[in-house]
Amino acid sequence: MINTIIKYSLLFILLILLQVLLFNNIQFSGYVNPYVYIMFILLLPFETPSWLLLFLSFLTGFIVDLFTGTPGMHSSATVVAGFVRPFVLRITSPRDGYEAGSYPSMMLYGFKWFIIYTLTVVFIHHTALFFLEVFRFTGFLTTLLRIFLSSLFTVTFILLLEFVRKVR
Amino acid sequence: MRNLLNFLERYNNLIIFLVLEGITFWLLSTGNDYHNTRVVKATKGFTYYLEQKFNNARSYFYLKEINNRLASENVALNNRLDRLIGSDDSLFFSVSDSLFDQRYIYSSARVVNNSINRQKNFFTIDKGYSHGLDVDMAVMADGGVAGILVGCGRNFSVGMSVLNLDFRLSARIKSNGYFGSLTWEGEDYRHAVLSEIPQHVTFGIGDTIETTGFSAIFPEGLMIGTISDFEKSGGDFYKIKVLLKTDFKKLYFVDVIGNLSKTEQLELETKFQ
Repeated sequence: MINTIIKYSLLFILLILLQVLLFNNIQFSGYVNPYVYIMFILLLPFETPSWLLLFLSFLTGFIVDLFTGTPGMHSSATVVAGFVRPFVLRITSPRDGYEAGSYPSMMLYGFKWFIIYTLTVVFIHHTALFFLEVFRFTGFLTTLLRIFLSSLFTVTFILLLEFVRKVR
Repeated sequence: MRNLLNFLERYNNLIIFLVLEGITFWLLSTGNDYHNTRVVKATKGFTYYLEQKFNNARSYFYLKEINNRLASENVALNNRLDRLIGSDDSLFFSVSDSLFDQRYIYSSARVVNNSINRQKNFFTIDKGYSHGLDVDMAVMADGGVAGILVGCGRNFSVGMSVLNLDFRLSARIKSNGYFGSLTWEGEDYRHAVLSEIPQHVTFGIGDTIETTGFSAIFPEGLMIGTISDFEKSGGDFYKIKVLLKTDFKKLYFVDVIGNLSKTEQLELETKFQ
């Protein structure tokens, strides 16, 4: 238990630092803004109670907001992601269900499952985030394009990180 | 209570979610200038829309009051107008206006009873001699002639409508000034008949018929109606059908016109008859 908490705290710090120091500075033509910190929400154990999931989502988003200077924006989107995560897990669940005491990982449940799960949550998160950022529905298609491209990049980076974890 | 607890237990995630989202939206709209502006604009637009709807609905309830106010304002303006014209006239014709500044006095009233389907039609208005009304005052409605007051009570007066076989009015064709006598034949409430117009007079359908002011009851130049049809009748006269300006079926607000110098005119006239 303590072990898990320490592990996730380290993951949390690492992801926030990566996000703030590295990914926030990536800007390809204004369309691509990967938000990799969402990986923290993705990797939380299956048994995490929903209320804790929501509060952790809020906390994550809030801290990212502090660094990017956009109060409420990332918090809101991340809370949405934390809210939909249990539903996505239920829909994408493998035939024999999830192993008790495990967490969503590529090693345990396979590449295909992991990519579907990640893509769904990331896409929902990015949809909320980018629409909150522009806060209007004019230029709908532009926003949609940004969501798609950024989602792809975010998922790519998450997969890379997951591979790195696997190798280690 | 149990139900409430069940409800809370069942939807606690949704409630936490909504609370957290509420907080983030509050942060979003207070912390970011752009989002703040958008939110304020949207709520303002919404409240403005509501306000407008409410105002629209509310204004209906004031229509009656506004109507009354407009009617009394109209009377006041008419009084002033005639005073101005009267004083202007008096520069040239001091005879008609030596005693009063003003020749006609206007007052507005509401029709409380009216008929159009008899041979001798009368209407009742809600003002009487306590409001300064008197018999033989002219009544007009919608800018057209409506009748003459024939009886005055304290608070009500009865007027003889144009739609009365006993009604006689001196009227003329506006375009050429030939005058005749206007009567009603007891058939159609929209039409009256102008007779005694000689046959050499030329006029057309649609020409305006107006009062002459000879009777000392109606002011000169009040519209009565328009010519809708004419035929030659016995002798050398036309019988002209006049479409009345006043629609007696929707008589509601009327203006009563009193001639302040009527007594003087009549006295003078009887001396020579």
